[in-house]
Amino acid sequence: MGELQGLGAQLSEAEKAGVEIIAVSPDANEQSQKLAEGLRLGYRFVADRELRVARLYGLVHKGGGPEGQDVPRPATVVVDKDGVVRWFSVARNYQVRPDPGEVLAVVRSLKS
Amino acid sequence: MHFYCLWQDIWVTASTRLAILSVLLAVSAIGTYVLMLRIAAVRNHPEGYVIAFAIATLLAVLAVARGRGRRWPAWVALGLTAFLLVMGSWFNFIYARVPESPTAFRVGEPAPDFTLLDASGKPVTLADYRGKKPVVLVFYRGYW
Repeated sequence: MGELQGLGAQLSEAEKAGVEIIAVSPDANEQSQKLAEGLRLGYRFVADRELRVARLYGLVHKGGGPEGQDVPRPATVVVDKDGVVRWFSVARNYQVRPDPGEVLAVVRSLKS
Repeated sequence: MHFYCLWQDIWVTASTRLAILSVLLAVSAIGTYVLMLRIAAVRNHPEGYVIAFAIATLLAVLAVARGRGRRWPAWVALGLTAFLLVMGSWFNFIYARVPESPTAFRVGEPAPDFTLLDASGKPVTLADYRGKKPVVLVFYRGYW
């Protein structure tokens, strides 16, 4: 949640309209969406229940969950208006997420 | 630097002061990390708390040495800080590690398309954003 809060805090209203942030995780959507609404963050939370999309992206950490289940590798991917990957960051330590400022700098550079 | 009033008066010995300092440092490190998780500079450097625990353990060792092993606060401090150091190191360097493996996407190539349902049950398709807006995909575990 820390990274999402950081991103939301730094995006101006205008920018929020110009970029879509999609948060992908296997957990129950309702809780995340309620949390996001409570924090007034403009994200879309989607449920990747069987890690189908995480697998599609090669972002599965086998047995990395607290009960030994497969979990997604935390990652941030910036996709431009043509659907092309322009930047990404994959975590080596799940406590560490990319600096929101860095992500936003990439997003802003796409417009030029 | 050391003055004793009575042998039971633990509050004035250097050993006890070092023990208190060591525990305060360890507790502050935990407090700082937990309370300042929103700040990227804190969140992205969890090794900071491990280093703080190491310094706190060192101070506790000094406390034991200064008290010549006879002061119980120093031993309590040492037990606590050494425990935190071991647990913190294990968590940060072993448990929280995500093994590296190749991703299935690359910079300069199209992002794999997908459709997933959002919280209200509406489908979200990545390809729908083409020609409209850039997208930031944030993959996260979903729980601590």
